[in-house]
Amino acid sequence: MTTVAMPLKRQKRRPSVAIGSVLVLVVACAGWWIASRISFVIPDPSSTTRALFSNLGDPDYQRDMRVTAIAVAWAFALGTLIGALLGLVLGLSRTARLLFEPLVIGLNGMPKIVLYPMLLPVFHLGYGSKVVMGVLFSLFPVLINVAAGVRDVPEVYWKLSRSLNASRWQTLTAIVIPAIRRPLLTGIRLAVSLATVGVVLSEFFATQNGLGRTVLRAYGTGDYADMMATILLLISVSFTLSLALWRLERKTR
Amino acid sequence: MGQPGIKISDLAVRFDTPAGDTVTAVEGINHEIEAHKFVSIVGPSGCGKSTLLNVVAGLQRPTSGSVEIEGAPVTGPNRRIGLVFQEDSTLPWKTVEENVAFGMHIQSVPKEQQRRRTREMIDLVGLNGFQKVHPPMLSGGMRQRVALARTLAQQPSVLLMDEPFAALDQQTRLLLGAELRRIWRQTKQTVLFVTHDLSEAILMSQQVWVMSYRPGRIIDVVDVDLPDERDTSVVSTHEFNELQNRIWASLQQEAMRGFVAEATAS
Repeated sequence: MTTVAMPLKRQKRRPSVAIGSVLVLVVACAGWWIASRISFVIPDPSSTTRALFSNLGDPDYQRDMRVTAIAVAWAFALGTLIGALLGLVLGLSRTARLLFEPLVIGLNGMPKIVLYPMLLPVFHLGYGSKVVMGVLFSLFPVLINVAAGVRDVPEVYWKLSRSLNASRWQTLTAIVIPAIRRPLLTGIRLAVSLATVGVVLSEFFATQNGLGRTVLRAYGTGDYADMMATILLLISVSFTLSLALWRLERKTR
Repeated sequence: MGQPGIKISDLAVRFDTPAGDTVTAVEGINHEIEAHKFVSIVGPSGCGKSTLLNVVAGLQRPTSGSVEIEGAPVTGPNRRIGLVFQEDSTLPWKTVEENVAFGMHIQSVPKEQQRRRTREMIDLVGLNGFQKVHPPMLSGGMRQRVALARTLAQQPSVLLMDEPFAALDQQTRLLLGAELRRIWRQTKQTVLFVTHDLSEAILMSQQVWVMSYRPGRIIDVVDVDLPDERDTSVVSTHEFNELQNRIWASLQQEAMRGFVAEATAS
């Protein structure tokens, strides 16, 4: 009996994820603090936190946050929609796959940011250019995951749909879309962070308002605590979103 | 002869290989199944059993010949034909209940009827208590019960089954076979059941068709005159063995021919 009970007991004492996260956070903060003692260009955690809170109360900064958030939301929504639609076409049609798959792979490998100078005169300094850049960043993971997901739909589901005389629309909504829910969610998770990358990267180059610009301005004036505060804000938000979506992905059957 | 169930006339299916040859999958099938009869097709792998079934189901067009179901020609999949596949075709994102209702849902059966038939079919295949469970939590045999219930809920008059228990272990296969026979005795569909397992075929059917290796022809028709009420214990009777020997005798040569052909082809 004792030999049976042993492994059961050991299983119970599995370390929890929460403890690991707190440990990593504590070690990171300690490392950060030590680094700030060694190099004067690195702001320490407390002055960064102070800068973050004073920023959050500043109306100008709130406007910058709003601008970036709206741009990211649009870029994500459009990128996911376009990526999903193109992915469905590429996954469902053999002809489309043969014609466009190399193009998609090639375009995905391209450093998209080099297009930014070309987008500026067309879409202007406001939302246009950075949303388009965010879309270019976020559509590929959705497209590629959806296309692969559709191709992996078990053969028997197509047979089932045909034997039930299901319409194209029924097949799409009742079988294909639920069948690819997991790759679709993976694509969406990646799209959230890549939309942020596209938008903030654009703001680093040229824009009127946005968090990317505040980072660059703080860098220009040598206000490293301020710069670090914004970077920390961007990191925490995308970290939390990615983690939440990843949880959702794992819970999905 | 009773009412017509499935009538297959002069059926042949040929297809071109990428190498440019023409392969005859099935040929000269001229057979009939009376309504409410249970017929099995046995044959070596690669003999065109599944092709024949797909043609009867309306999923594949024959090169020549025709299929009639209850007197009406088959031109495509339709409501009178119910299919059960070899592979697991349950939808993992739906519960057992939703899976059973899925075919009816696609065919826009009224909601009230969907609920009633779902309840009846779950009862019939013995899945009571599992209504809210998702298929990944079930065994392979249970999932095939779900698929069977889904097909039966559509109330087809003809049931076509393509090696539905092939992926299961021998015990489960025999038990499910006996279950299927019990269900069939209640629902009385015309059944065409494809298998490569002789004992499964004999256990369930009233008639067994033996198919030859390519080109697939029906080389023997064996009537199974075992008691109508039978369970798995019939497997050990003398009559059962006689039938098995008789079918094996006609099948043996074909199985060998198929085995050699497949071995030299690969």
